[in-house]
Amino acid sequence: MRLILLAALAAAFVAAISAGAVKIDLFNMSEIERNILFDVRLPRVVLAGLVGAALAMSGVLFQYVMKNPLADSFTTGVSASSAMGAVIAIMLGLMPYIPLFALAGGLAGLYLVYRIASDRGRIQPITMLLAGIVLSTFASATISFMKFLSDDAVSSIIFWLMGGFQAATVSKDLILFGVICLSFLVIRGDYLKLDILCFDDTTASSTGVDVHGLRKKLFFAAALLTSFSVGYAGIIGFVGLIIPHILRLGNFVKASYLLPASLTGGAAFMIATDLIARTILQQGQELPVGVITSSIGGVFFLYLLIKRRKELFYFN
Amino acid sequence: MVGVLGNNGSGKSTFLNVLSGQMDFAGGYRIGGRNFKEISHPESARRIGFLPQEAALNMPFDSFYVVLTGRFIHSDGQMYSEQDISCTEEAMKRFDVYHLKDRLFNALSGGEKQRVLLARVMNMDTEIFLLDEPFSGIDILHQIRIVEMLRQLRMEKIIMVVIHDLSFAVQHFSRFLFFRDGLLLYDMARDELDPEKLTDIFGVRVGFVEQDKRMFVYTEEI
Repeated sequence: MRLILLAALAAAFVAAISAGAVKIDLFNMSEIERNILFDVRLPRVVLAGLVGAALAMSGVLFQYVMKNPLADSFTTGVSASSAMGAVIAIMLGLMPYIPLFALAGGLAGLYLVYRIASDRGRIQPITMLLAGIVLSTFASATISFMKFLSDDAVSSIIFWLMGGFQAATVSKDLILFGVICLSFLVIRGDYLKLDILCFDDTTASSTGVDVHGLRKKLFFAAALLTSFSVGYAGIIGFVGLIIPHILRLGNFVKASYLLPASLTGGAAFMIATDLIARTILQQGQELPVGVITSSIGGVFFLYLLIKRRKELFYFN
Repeated sequence: MVGVLGNNGSGKSTFLNVLSGQMDFAGGYRIGGRNFKEISHPESARRIGFLPQEAALNMPFDSFYVVLTGRFIHSDGQMYSEQDISCTEEAMKRFDVYHLKDRLFNALSGGEKQRVLLARVMNMDTEIFLLDEPFSGIDILHQIRIVEMLRQLRMEKIIMVVIHDLSFAVQHFSRFLFFRDGLLLYDMARDELDPEKLTDIFGVRVGFVEQDKRMFVYTEEI
């Protein structure tokens, strides 16, 4: 199964760097094609892969924290509050600091949701979802209000909210790669604990896992991943929700399988959807990638829900 | 082996939660001569195996893996060893759930789940076991097998069991803690059991009948 994921990632990557507005024959490139490949396309494809990996992993982490299959960066309100932070940065004209503002917004939003949804350290999943939805709504309203206030920043805000990888650069790639490596290394040693966290808190804690400490760590890692993704690529829905589910249905159940697989699967999915987004229209026009993720992802997820309903009930 | 008895809401579960360190408490208690509050969290898990009254799992793990996670305190935290795996097989065989090892835990029946969870706790191999209603949902055959198994361990382990079936408890346990209204009222050995005190504790008339050297307990409304 792991091999299939890796093969899918490799195939998506090769297809994505050769196809596009200008077709590139990888084995026979002209000077211009070489420039396009290395200056534009490669950074973009890599960014798409990294954002996909980060969002999928953050979805997995949120689902561990919240013990809820509906948890991801969207339903917890982190995406929207990150976006709010980013839009504030745009409004203030502080473009280089967008990721920082997104991170601050994301963490603040997450903290708020966590405080509202936890009662003496226990997270109440329903309250969490409601709080996340309220926060999302509030953040969206704030964003709309800011759009209304500033005419000149509107177009860059709208680009932002639709999500996309047009603004990819090598340095963004490197930073996001660093963030993913950092989160992955921080979590890597905790695979067994993550599995135990799937029990109720009392069982988990009496088995020897510091439930609250671990949860805080996961929370922070997930928020970091989401915020940087949102900071570089805007809001892209559904990846964090759908990739972990598909992987679990494909029998990636233990954390030691699920987490690495979420990185590969998320990257492959995002590269492929970005490829579709920029090649499906004629004359080099692009669809926002969020449209593709949500429609493909949504249809596929619906299929799974109907066809394999039974296996989804494992969350009680 | 100690039976913990009392009506609903009398404080039995709270008592076990406190002893296992799952709930904050005022005052203190000693475990092996050391103040419990000085024992840090992972170490307390190494000494006390706790089976809470209600357990839930929200990941499609097979039963074998569920029992294996009981070995976490003995593992290096990264991977389960060969020994952990053989202990798990052993524990599952002892609790007669080895044939369920490949089934999804959440697809099991209530009683089977409970037996798997018991195997999981016993797999922790701690010196103290606190079991909150371990027999709920388990058939008579397995109840008797399990209680016999616990009895065999009683010389080397401290085992505390919350139980509602008074006559089952009288048959198999040697020491009793009785709770009422949040208070620990009595700590009695089996030969100190007194129908009047029990009547007072449970709010039903309790009587003992001895036949063929066996003690039978009957209960009726006052």
